[in-house]
Amino acid sequence: MRPRSLWKLIRILATFAVLIALWFLFSGSFSPASILTGIGCSALIALISYNTFIDEHEAARNMVFPRLLPALAYPFRLVAAMYAASFRTLASVLSGRVSPRVVHFRSRLKSDIARVALAEAITFTPGTISIELDEDHFIVHWLNATTRHSARAGDEVKGPLEAAIKRIWV
Amino acid sequence: MTDPQAIAELTRELAVSGLCAVAALFAIAGTIGVFRFPDAYTRLQASSLTGTTATFSVLAASLVASPSIAIAARVVVIVIFFLVSNPTTTHIIARYAWKSGLDPWTDSARRRGRGEDRP
Repeated sequence: MRPRSLWKLIRILATFAVLIALWFLFSGSFSPASILTGIGCSALIALISYNTFIDEHEAARNMVFPRLLPALAYPFRLVAAMYAASFRTLASVLSGRVSPRVVHFRSRLKSDIARVALAEAITFTPGTISIELDEDHFIVHWLNATTRHSARAGDEVKGPLEAAIKRIWV
Repeated sequence: MTDPQAIAELTRELAVSGLCAVAALFAIAGTIGVFRFPDAYTRLQASSLTGTTATFSVLAASLVASPSIAIAARVVVIVIFFLVSNPTTTHIIARYAWKSGLDPWTDSARRRGRGEDRP
């Protein structure tokens, strides 16, 4: 089998796996009729939409498919980071003292999906909003800026989340 | 109160009330911040306190309170969609403000005596 058609088959199967997992989550029943309907509908939708769901050009598989254990641990780290940042933002709301600044920095992440995940994580933690993402270049609005130095600002804004995302994708 | 099931139920109710109290705290603080902060970007930061932390706390409370695995799984799916969709809306607003050339407020602008005078 040629690599191109193998990649196509893998993309169809991955889309199908996600759809069938969602079907079981939402239906919550395991009767034969429900399982058959789920398999049929998931296969049909996977055949139609695999090309939009997983882009063809991201040919390296570890750039799309997450590594399981870090992907399971990541939401907990994200939520912990969110609560920590929330209490800092709460303090600056109550005191009224802010030093907002727009900072530019780069990321070491390679794949599109990992960069988007980092941008979402930055916006998800209160106190930082990602304004622009262009290739590996981030523009971030930072509520309590401590520095104007771009590399140091990048390290403080990204925190440990960039390393956590790098363990999931690349 | 030596019945283990009753103790588990009580712990669960306490956790749910605690999470709802945290949600209320952050929702109020976010609303105060929207009125208190000087420009669109910083107000967006304050509103993300309401939009993210308070909403997530309510979702976590409903996860703890959910009576069966099937409903808990649905709450988990809602949380995953929330993790993806909520930062996107905030980003769109900030990006629109940035693209339209809105200058971010800085504390040095206040020191030089121009810009807004509010904290």
